[in-house]
Amino acid sequence: MTRDEIFTRVRTTLVDALNVDDNEVTPAARLRADLNAESIDFLDIVFRLEKQFALKIPREDLFPEAIFQGDPAFVANGKITPDGLAELETRMPYADLTEFRKDPKLEKMEDLFTVNLIVTYLESRVGK
Amino acid sequence: MLLKDQVAVVTGGSRGIGKAVVLALAKEGAKVAFVYKGSADAAKTLEGEVATAGGTAKAYQGDVGDPTAGERIVEAVLAEWGRVDILVNNAGVIRDKLFLVMEPDDWNVVINTNLTGVFAFCKAVAKQMAFKQRSGRIINVSSIAAEHVNSGQANYAASKGAINSLTRVLAVELGRRNVLVNAVAPGFIATDMSQAVRNLAGEDNLKKMIPVRRLGTPEDIAAVVLFLASPAAAYITGQVITVDGGLSLGAVSG
Repeated sequence: MTRDEIFTRVRTTLVDALNVDDNEVTPAARLRADLNAESIDFLDIVFRLEKQFALKIPREDLFPEAIFQGDPAFVANGKITPDGLAELETRMPYADLTEFRKDPKLEKMEDLFTVNLIVTYLESRVGK
Repeated sequence: MLLKDQVAVVTGGSRGIGKAVVLALAKEGAKVAFVYKGSADAAKTLEGEVATAGGTAKAYQGDVGDPTAGERIVEAVLAEWGRVDILVNNAGVIRDKLFLVMEPDDWNVVINTNLTGVFAFCKAVAKQMAFKQRSGRIINVSSIAAEHVNSGQANYAASKGAINSLTRVLAVELGRRNVLVNAVAPGFIATDMSQAVRNLAGEDNLKKMIPVRRLGTPEDIAAVVLFLASPAAAYITGQVITVDGGLSLGAVSG
């Protein structure tokens, strides 16, 4: 499956799960900030993707909930520590951390969850 | 008809409050799947009663205290009718004993049926309601005994208090998907379950504690369950509605 094909399927999934329009689902769109997803919607998206792509998405994959739980080794003063960034890289190898590294505020972590992130994750799962 | 073409699941449906709920929902056009444990004859009779009145009800045997019952029965209902719009968690048991002689078994039986059974049935319908339908009503039958406790009911009061909390949390989590979750807290209702207490305390004495001077009927409770299931209650969620003729006011009458 090509990246474009994956994107098209992801877009369909997000349109159904979030009641958004096709043209809102751009590769850069952030699920929370741009597409108004809430925690229950993230679950819905995972279930729909599992069905759409006929695969099992482990709960700690894709949208890991509360990755750091305030672990002082990973979060200090509202920012992700270097150790935390390394952990994030291991846990979410499919996430693009380039921008985030410049100002790794905990509250900005949710912006990592973009349409592109889902596509990249699925690409790693279903191959090309 | 308020609930035309909707599908309801009612636990503890063959007798008492549950039976009145089945009749009330079916009368408003809902197809009602009700769960019974041991009263097979009563269940058959109720199916017939609903059919005679022009409605649809189907009995499912199961023990709500068995943690697998919820999923099994809800799956069967989905296979039969394709959706679940209303879940009424009504099944409940008592095992009254003073705490000092209450054994783990007394505790477990009551918690398993009254609380874990509610968890299991809610789990079984939640994805269907929240993700597939984006609508649904869950109505849990609690009791005023959660807040206005009675001696001998540590297990029962704990189970009902927990139902009230569960109701509120589910309302918060599922509200975004238009699944409304409420509870009804009956007072003294004239059912088999309250028979022993009524015998012990004496009905006349009980009535003096109730401002409207009568015990409640199963229909009194069913009317509120129906309301909470109906379009009129579209903006109510996370509430525990007391239906007790004023008993919980605790007023001294006379």
